Amino acid sequence: MLGKFKYLLILLIIAAIMQTGMAKAMSNSSFKILKADEGEVVTNLIAHSDDGIFNSNASYTFEVKNTYHTDQTGRVAYVVPTPNGKPVASDSVQVKISKNSSNNYSFTIPAMKPGFYKINFMINVSDYDDTTKRVFGIRPKEIRSNHSRPADFDSFWQTTKDQLAAVAPNYKITEKPELEKNNRLVYLFEMKSLDDITVRGWLTIPKGGSKNRKLPVFVGLPGYQVELKPMMGEDDDLAIITINVRGQGNSRDVIHTKRDDYITLNMEDKNKYVLRGAIMDCVRTIDFICAQPNLDASRIEVSGGSMGGFLAVALAGLDSRVKLVSAQNPILSDIRNLDGVVSWPVDDIKKYVKAKPGLSYASLMDNLDYFDTKNFAPNIKAPIRVGVGLLDHLAPPQNEFAFYNLIPSKYAHVRVYKDLGHEVPLSFMEEDGHWMRDAFGLF
Amino acid sequence: MILKNTLIKYTFIVIILLTAMQNKGYATGGFPVRPGRLTLSPSVSYFFANKQFDANSHRGAFPENGRFSSLGTSLYAEYGLSRRFSLSALIPYVSNTYKDNTATYLNSGFGDAEIGIRYYLANISYKYYFSLQATAILPMYTNLNLGYNQKGGELRLAFAGSGHLFGRNSYFVLENGVREYFGYESVFQDRYNATYGITLDKKFREQVSVSVGGFYVSSDNKSFSPNPNTAKNFAFNQVSISYGHSFSKKVALFLTGGTFITGRNTGAGSSVSASLNYHIDTR
Repeated sequence: MLGKFKYLLILLIIAAIMQTGMAKAMSNSSFKILKADEGEVVTNLIAHSDDGIFNSNASYTFEVKNTYHTDQTGRVAYVVPTPNGKPVASDSVQVKISKNSSNNYSFTIPAMKPGFYKINFMINVSDYDDTTKRVFGIRPKEIRSNHSRPADFDSFWQTTKDQLAAVAPNYKITEKPELEKNNRLVYLFEMKSLDDITVRGWLTIPKGGSKNRKLPVFVGLPGYQVELKPMMGEDDDLAIITINVRGQGNSRDVIHTKRDDYITLNMEDKNKYVLRGAIMDCVRTIDFICAQPNLDASRIEVSGGSMGGFLAVALAGLDSRVKLVSAQNPILSDIRNLDGVVSWPVDDIKKYVKAKPGLSYASLMDNLDYFDTKNFAPNIKAPIRVGVGLLDHLAPPQNEFAFYNLIPSKYAHVRVYKDLGHEVPLSFMEEDGHWMRDAFGLF
Repeated sequence: MILKNTLIKYTFIVIILLTAMQNKGYATGGFPVRPGRLTLSPSVSYFFANKQFDANSHRGAFPENGRFSSLGTSLYAEYGLSRRFSLSALIPYVSNTYKDNTATYLNSGFGDAEIGIRYYLANISYKYYFSLQATAILPMYTNLNLGYNQKGGELRLAFAGSGHLFGRNSYFVLENGVREYFGYESVFQDRYNATYGITLDKKFREQVSVSVGGFYVSSDNKSFSPNPNTAKNFAFNQVSISYGHSFSKKVALFLTGGTFITGRNTGAGSSVSASLNYHIDTR
């Protein structure tokens, strides 16, 4: 009897499970039917240029697919606004997309001057409204900043480097066997940098190889308030260094601001501004490499994104020992022209001005001229790859090209990504790896 | 608030892709050589022919039940001088036998040594590589049954690439070299080869490749010889298949078999060979 009850119970459970499953399946099914009844409008904007860069007239095709069982009527339009929102170019067409069909609408934007332009495509039809926002560029290599670098820019940085050179580095290297993996040895290193501040970083090197071997070095530079860890990976050819500049990661002994306050720390004095020291921490990292007998000082690549990109550019502009540079979306380019274009760091700078009586935004800009990415560019003497996202809200393409165009042309390489913001795709990093291996003869 | 979140999201941690060109270890051909890398490749090969292609490219038996065989050993070395230049050397030793119903002819000795310098011309997207090699040919014998006994020179253009096909790593090498032997009845040779290889595992330990190649050789002397090293006017095309096994990142063994598919005024032979590939990095 009990056995039969058990059997019945199992059957009931199975039935319940099946019912639940069927109900779910029916629910899914009815949802699909319902959706099919309702339909949808799907849009796709196709730029007639792989990277969104045009010579004179930008052009697009706006694809509209209507899966409704009813016709969709209305307008498809575009507008190219100024930074203040005023339209400088616009057009619209009356559309009728028959039920269960697709239509394409092509637009050629009037010729524009060199620069980057936002463009919004709008669709307003019977059952659907949407806006697609993009950016296009016209002959960006003709973009020039209207702000020049300070006349004493080079002497300011030479003085700074001299001050760094006067600080004994006191390198300290500690092996960290507990962190080993991927057949790599891991070392924590620390050193004294500008103003006697201690900064730390990580070195990983492949195990094995001859004792006389000198490894090429990849240096990873940190983004804003990012703590870099030891960088691993199965690679027998490369030493990898990650450095935490002052006030970041494990280099916060003296400077340990709140996250938002770091960018403005001591900005009112260009000789005390936090990024002056951070840049020197990067120079000291190159000193460290040159002091290691197993690292090849003639094959150093520096790479970073965002603030890491900024540091990479600044380092390349100040230190000719760097042989390859990869800067992804470097921030702080053409700083005076960031106002009105980006919120960060402009809003924080303005907040800083308000909090400090006697300070003015203009005076801070005068100081920041010494830290403007574009102002390091003319001094770069190593091949550099720059990654730019057209939708970047922190390192806008107009500002990026104001910097890029000042790099001596024989060293400059750029990749532009029309659908990306403050990032680069995996393919950029893959190409970076191949580029570095080719340049360093790591075939 | 949105800004801060976005900022956190996008303040980059550095990414690095470690893209070792492991698949190219198998195929030195047109790929650049790492500076300081010394590659040593001893090999042994056996060529056998009991048929011939006549002057009209017709295949037939040798007269008097003749058959030609050649057992060869060689040492190939290559050294990366710099990112652009590499130096190579080849020293062969051969033992040729021709037997028929009437006699046996045996000749042994060193062959033509080759010393070359290769220049890495360019690449396309770090996937396709062009190189140009100049080679000096120096006879190490006086016996004319081992070769022309003439100095020569060769220019070879190579195009090589790697990529993915059917989910596997693959590579190709296309090479064409024009060679001239200087002196009496000077011989012109065009040596060409196309190789396609594919790795069989993700660790690049096993690979198989197929090749199509051949010689086109011309001179005023049109007499027949079953030995391609001594004949002065002939042509052939051959196909071959090669299997490679990598014992470590530094040592690999290749086993190759091939056969002539068309020819003119030469033996119709087949060959097998084994070669070891060992490299050390001196820098």
